[in-house]
Amino acid sequence: MANNEVVQEKKKNILDLFVEGARSGFTIGTTSLLPNVIMAFVIIRVLEVTGLLKIIGIVCAPVMALWGLPGEAATVLVTAIMSMGGGIGVAVSLYSNGILDAVQVTMLVPAIYLMGNPVQNVGRCLGISGVNTKHYAMIIGICVINALLSIWVMRLLLLFI
Amino acid sequence: MSGKKENASVKVGWVGYVVFLLAILLFSGLFSSSSGWLKALDFNVLNGSFGQITATGQGLTFRGDGGTGARDGFLFAISLIPAVILALGIVNVVDGLGGLRAAQKLMTPILKPLLGVPGICMLSNIANMQSTDAAAGMIKELVDAGEITDDERSVIIAYQTSASAFITNYFSSGAAVFSFMVAPIIVPILVMLVFKIIGANIMRFYLKMVYRKSVAGGAQNGK
Repeated sequence: MANNEVVQEKKKNILDLFVEGARSGFTIGTTSLLPNVIMAFVIIRVLEVTGLLKIIGIVCAPVMALWGLPGEAATVLVTAIMSMGGGIGVAVSLYSNGILDAVQVTMLVPAIYLMGNPVQNVGRCLGISGVNTKHYAMIIGICVINALLSIWVMRLLLLFI
Repeated sequence: MSGKKENASVKVGWVGYVVFLLAILLFSGLFSSSSGWLKALDFNVLNGSFGQITATGQGLTFRGDGGTGARDGFLFAISLIPAVILALGIVNVVDGLGGLRAAQKLMTPILKPLLGVPGICMLSNIANMQSTDAAAGMIKELVDAGEITDDERSVIIAYQTSASAFITNYFSSGAAVFSFMVAPIIVPILVMLVFKIIGANIMRFYLKMVYRKSVAGGAQNGK
């Protein structure tokens, strides 16, 4: 078993560690979170102005009702296929529009990550590891299955929390 | 002269022209006063508005109420960034003090039987908590070195792809919802971990079915 102890580098104190992490938090916040949230707000704005959001809401309502979610929640899952940050951004945007409530956003959180943004991960996870291409469809399918099942599990868990 | 040559050699697809036309329309303000879906073609509509901050309002945040579009998104994102800074600061302290290595030690004996793959993959599966690419690269090396089989790789990648780098991603982008999430922050992490394991086992089951078929077909199976 690969258990080799990593050679201790120069010890940093807790404050330095925190500041170092906080600095990367600031970088991620400004260079990743902020652009993602703005993108999501603009997407939702476009969907809203064009009336597509309402249409998506109506069309997807019967399906999303299976998870106790309004039809508009489908946009969160679809965006998560392309980007996790985008999925969170759309969820946040729908929350601030009052379309999703806090409980529904919480239910969707694991699903956004479990979806595992297949668009990027085909190149990253699957490509880098050189996994058998015959299994690509199954692996992506598993991501989708995981995501959809997790919403139910979260819903169940939230009954007890 | 050379400019002319360059110009002639540049190829533009029709998409380029359409996008350029749309950009002109977007910035022209032509549709600013139109109603219906055409409004979406106006820059200022997409830019939206800042929320109103009223002195008598109950929710006196700098974001205000009723904002829209990019402007509202910008202010909202600013209000989310402290959570990301705090979360990643804490994660880095935990990591720096050896907390994640402790997680590795604790999780190895738990994950190994649950995934049914050799223990040597566990370092990669733990790395997958923080990095998609690094973990996937480690798995490739293990296969190249003959430590694990192609099928085992598929099981591991099924585990890794779903919610890949979930610690890093959850504590960065996910921090955006921490402030109004109704469950404790750790709950979604546990749900993700459980489903990663379930996903790997779906893959195991699937491979077993395929394996059985290929045995029936008389094909030779390695290892």
